[in-house]
Amino acid sequence: MSREASTEIDAAAANWAARLDANVISASDQAALDDWLAGDSRREGALWRARAVMALMVEPMPQTQTHRAPAKPDRRVLLGGMGLAAAVAAGVVLTPILSRQRYRTLVGEIRRVPLADGSMAAINTDTTLDIRFQKAERAVILDQGEAWFQVAKDRARPFVVAAGDVRVQAVGTAFSVRRKSGGAEVRVTEGVVEVWSDKGAGKMRRRVAAGEQVFVSDQAGASSPVKRPLEMDRALSWREGQIVLDGDTIGAAAAEFNRYNNRKIVIVDPDLEGRTVVGWFRTNEPESFAQAVGVAHDASVKVGADVIMLGGAG
Amino acid sequence: MGELKLAQGGGKSERERVRWLGHEILPHEQDVRAWLRRSLVTSNDVDDVIQESYCRLANLKAVEQIESPRAYFFQTARSVVLEQMRRARIVRIDAVTEIDALRIEWDEPSPERIAGGRKELERVMKIVATLPERSRRIFEMRRVLGLSQKEIARQLGVSENVVENEAARGLKAVLAGLAKADANVAPSSTGERRA
Repeated sequence: MSREASTEIDAAAANWAARLDANVISASDQAALDDWLAGDSRREGALWRARAVMALMVEPMPQTQTHRAPAKPDRRVLLGGMGLAAAVAAGVVLTPILSRQRYRTLVGEIRRVPLADGSMAAINTDTTLDIRFQKAERAVILDQGEAWFQVAKDRARPFVVAAGDVRVQAVGTAFSVRRKSGGAEVRVTEGVVEVWSDKGAGKMRRRVAAGEQVFVSDQAGASSPVKRPLEMDRALSWREGQIVLDGDTIGAAAAEFNRYNNRKIVIVDPDLEGRTVVGWFRTNEPESFAQAVGVAHDASVKVGADVIMLGGAG
Repeated sequence: MGELKLAQGGGKSERERVRWLGHEILPHEQDVRAWLRRSLVTSNDVDDVIQESYCRLANLKAVEQIESPRAYFFQTARSVVLEQMRRARIVRIDAVTEIDALRIEWDEPSPERIAGGRKELERVMKIVATLPERSRRIFEMRRVLGLSQKEIARQLGVSENVVENEAARGLKAVLAGLAKADANVAPSSTGERRA
């Protein structure tokens, strides 16, 4: 009895699922696939299963149902009644909100979401983002955290990110905003954006071009943009779940890892903080960073359940 | 069967079915496997039943009316087993009694399973984390940045074939990992009823 082993079927199914994911099925592929499928119904089942798993692995944000506030009503047109009452309470009066969405990422979670206008947002760890697209304006509210936006062109409807009092406006461009205490940091990867603060002295608008970054204070508005084209990719490597260090101090690097992880790195030996490190890590692997520092600077590393202690009595 | 259309990217309904399988069926596969394992002889048989069950579930005309995909999955697996037994000339007596005795854990999913899809996704991601760096990176670029295999190949400076092979290899590891008994779940039949 030479019945094909189910593990072989699974392996072949994985090959086909990867080919289908590549989206390049030639006529001869299709014929080969049909032949293969016709041989045994287990094969078809295995392929469906493989594709279902593949889809889970590559879907942008499959766990959205758990945090995305309104699961379905993407398009909430306010026609009165409860909807209007809610809008008034929220301080949005008489502007129909065409699309409204709230995103909340957990510590360590990085999510990429397509927005209703064709724009794209990559949302970094521990971030709250409110999307309120209206007829005249595409408003995005960044309550905390960091996000990068690739903005679809729409001259009639500016795309405005509000982070505290700081405002960042784009027409069609790509940039990131990180909310910090007292202001926000803006990095522009494509095109030009305008930044300002809604508070008194900060109202003067300032243009920031691709390759530049700027800190905008809630009170005083934008400082001078700094050209940092080479740093841009590095600073935005979180979009790929990575932290790239290039001469950063151990103190700053540890703080960066702590943004992404509940298990915090604690530097016990103060001498260690100012030393610099170079390396390429994953945001969710603070242990690898700690081990690397331990080896490079001959420091002890203690990995506990909630903290990773760097330096100090071995 | 045989009506599977696998043209570029697949049609909308096909993609929806793939999604449904991933979100509504896959999270229960562990429990169905555990249940089958208690009555069937080899793990090979279990794999057969799972594959056959996916084939039937994927080919259902409509799935929206299915209230409990979990129960439906159990029932499908059960009918696959019974059919196989009917076809087989020799059947272990205890197997027949077992399959009846083991009726139905489906209405009491363990508390962890209620978290369902999310839990399963975490499991998938855990296995992904054990993949070799290159494989992992490809899945991450697909998922987080939404790049296609083609774009990934360009960014990494490798051929599309390399990316596809790497993706297939990673997927194989994940499929095999999902088929394994979960170390956290006790293999006894009372395993899921811990309070």
